[in-house]
Amino acid sequence: MSQRSERRGIHVDQSELLCKKGCGYYGNAAWQGLCSKCWRDEYQKARQRQIQDDWALAEKLQREEEAAYVSSHSSSQTQPPQSHSQHSLATFSKFEEKKTNEKTRKVTTVKKFFSPSSRTAPKKVPPEKEREKEKEEKLPGRRESHGENLLRDLKGIFTQPWEMSSPTEALVSRLRESHEAKTPSPSITRQSSIETDRVSRDFVEFLKTLHKPGREIHKHSRAFIDSMGNKKQDLSAEELSECVQDFYQGMSDRLLNHFKGSSEKVDRVMDQVEKYIMTRLYKSVFCPETSDDEKKDLATQHRIRALHWVTIQMLCVPVEEEIPEVSDSVVKAITDIIEMDSKRVPRDKLACITSCSKHIFNAIRVTKNEPASADDFLPTLIYIVLKANPPRLQSNIQYITRFCNPSRLMTGEDGYYFTNLCCAVAFIEKLDAQSLNLSPEDFERYMSGQASPRRQDDPAGWPQSGSRVNPVLTQIQHNLSVLSSLEKRQQQVIEGAQSLEAELTEWQESVAREVQEILERYPLDIKPRASAIDAENVENDRLPPPLQPQVFAG
Amino acid sequence: MTAMRVDAKVVMLGKESVGKTSLVERYVHRRFLVGPYQNTIGAAFVAKALNVGEKVITLGIWDTAGSERYEAMSRIYYRGARAAIVCYDLTDSSSFGRARFWVKELQNCEEHCKIYLCGTKSDLIEADRSTRQVDYHDVQDFADEIGAQHFETSSKTGKNVDEVFQKVAEDFSSCALEFMQEEKGVDLGQKKDSYFDNCCHN
Ligand SMILES: Nc1nc2c(ncn2[C@@H]2O[C@H](COP(=O)(O)OP(=O)(O)O)[C@@H](O)[C@H]2O)c(=O)[nH]1
Ligand SMILES: [Mg+2]
Repeated sequence: MSQRSERRGIHVDQSELLCKKGCGYYGNAAWQGLCSKCWRDEYQKARQRQIQDDWALAEKLQREEEAAYVSSHSSSQTQPPQSHSQHSLATFSKFEEKKTNEKTRKVTTVKKFFSPSSRTAPKKVPPEKEREKEKEEKLPGRRESHGENLLRDLKGIFTQPWEMSSPTEALVSRLRESHEAKTPSPSITRQSSIETDRVSRDFVEFLKTLHKPGREIHKHSRAFIDSMGNKKQDLSAEELSECVQDFYQGMSDRLLNHFKGSSEKVDRVMDQVEKYIMTRLYKSVFCPETSDDEKKDLATQHRIRALHWVTIQMLCVPVEEEIPEVSDSVVKAITDIIEMDSKRVPRDKLACITSCSKHIFNAIRVTKNEPASADDFLPTLIYIVLKANPPRLQSNIQYITRFCNPSRLMTGEDGYYFTNLCCAVAFIEKLDAQSLNLSPEDFERYMSGQASPRRQDDPAGWPQSGSRVNPVLTQIQHNLSVLSSLEKRQQQVIEGAQSLEAELTEWQESVAREVQEILERYPLDIKPRASAIDAENVENDRLPPPLQPQVFAG
Repeated sequence: MTAMRVDAKVVMLGKESVGKTSLVERYVHRRFLVGPYQNTIGAAFVAKALNVGEKVITLGIWDTAGSERYEAMSRIYYRGARAAIVCYDLTDSSSFGRARFWVKELQNCEEHCKIYLCGTKSDLIEADRSTRQVDYHDVQDFADEIGAQHFETSSKTGKNVDEVFQKVAEDFSSCALEFMQEEKGVDLGQKKDSYFDNCCHN
């Protein structure tokens, strides 16, 4: 009975994994229980809203940036602190506004244009947008040419004069293009848009230090996001990657050639550009619908689950988890690799892998008392991946490959660890009996769950060698022993209760017996009394004799 | 991230226990004594700055796991490498057979990757000539044929170790110029057609 309930705790019911919309595909917690398709449908609605928010903010940032630029050049230093506080206030009120509007979503979009935070938007825009939307719905065939349009748009960005005639005009033209505006779902957007706002602010802050080139970088980046935002759903993952990589390449060439930046400085700028761009594009280009990333994620997840029986010894991992510092490093490595999925910027994901790797190196160094080589590192990384079963592993690897700045990925230290992770995944996919030095029969039996290598090896020893065994098994073992000791104690309690009961019965009888004896010894004889009146007077006889009547002659 | 900027990726290839890790360790360890104390936690990846003439070239040296288990994955490792140091054990003829295999792979998959053949453990041979299993001239002929450099090193004595990496850096430095010009030529052409350079009105 305990076995069964344990099992229920580990295995999730199949139906819980399916998409909440009931379309039959698997859902994902990261997509609020929906599958990628349904999520995208949901998200599509929210996306437009986000674009508008972003643009309102970007315009504001742009104004702020320009104001700061002007004030720093006109030597009047009174304005910046004030405008800064205003700015943060505006951001807060925007957040508040989002909160309160949650219940009246339908009007939110329209309202926004009249709200003080986006005063620049002319009032005639919303109806126009509605018309655009209707038009779009009547013209479903237009979608096919989006790929072409994107290329045209990209050309447009860079052939356009640098300076747009006015921010208002830019916004209007932007809004004309956002033809798909539908009811947004704030719960999806809020979290990410807070982060997006923060990243945008940081980006502008960073660019301020670069003065004029900074402004151009900002405009370029925004224009690029804009063009991507419009067309991305029709491009394959590879085309998306190409667009972004072309943009990186163009931007860094330009920084090198036109602004004569040193390569270190260009790298630094490019890191910020990547952060800004990818924070905004993340939702739409991570695990895109046009790729089979999601399918691969599931396959890998299943595969790793099926390999739960693989031990440290089979992989020749030079790590002894009995040492506290080592097991601590192992836990940290697992945490880092799992955390990768929560990052949006490719370089941040890469940093998680690097941090994971450093913990692995530490675990090996402490165990072996010497620096780790590649022969130690790769198997340990494989072991960590098997233990962690990181969420959406394939999607994350693909995303980094497609959208990370290639100079980071190919040569440097981060690239080395990333490559090792790719190897680890490839190894896990291809893993067979031979790669674990097992006989094919054993491998099959372990895979099918008919046998477990640990129990076969030393059936008596495994409860003690705690950390070597699968921790779940250890836990079960522990629970079982707790249960059996409970059972024993319960037995004792029952026995105690029974003997108490017997004692009580015995005591009751003995009391009864005693009473009986006493009763027998002192039988209760009721003797008839002479005087009725003084019957109750115990000391009757000590009383003086009653007065007798006497006759006096007289 | 504080990661060092790296100019070229150099990958160490070779059968298990031919001495790849020892070669990197030897090379880096010697610099330890004079240079700053860095990269102490692992020898799997090392970034090393060398002087080539006026310039400083930073090599990113990638150690690889030599076990046969991971052979299928080696292609993932050498992708994008600008140099491969293919090691074989001078006292083990089978290791040279494996070296030939990697050379073929590299020629097929990484045309920009220069190959350096490196016979290791030369101190063992010097101690006892009869232990040599790979003939110097056979390897030299092979190297000429494939356009590779050829070294015999000892990580124990340090013989020829610096020379290998110095040569790698020099070749990269002179080759990087050509390569970049070639790349730029192609890239600029593309950019003109597309979008980037049209917009510069200065
Ligand atoms: N005598 C001698 N032994 C060496 C030399 N290089 C490596 N070894 C030994 O060969 C063994 C394998 O070396 P290692 O660097 O781990 O090989 P890897 O598997 O290719 O990384 C170790 O026992 C080293 O001590 C060398 O130059 N001379
Ligand atoms: Mg090694």
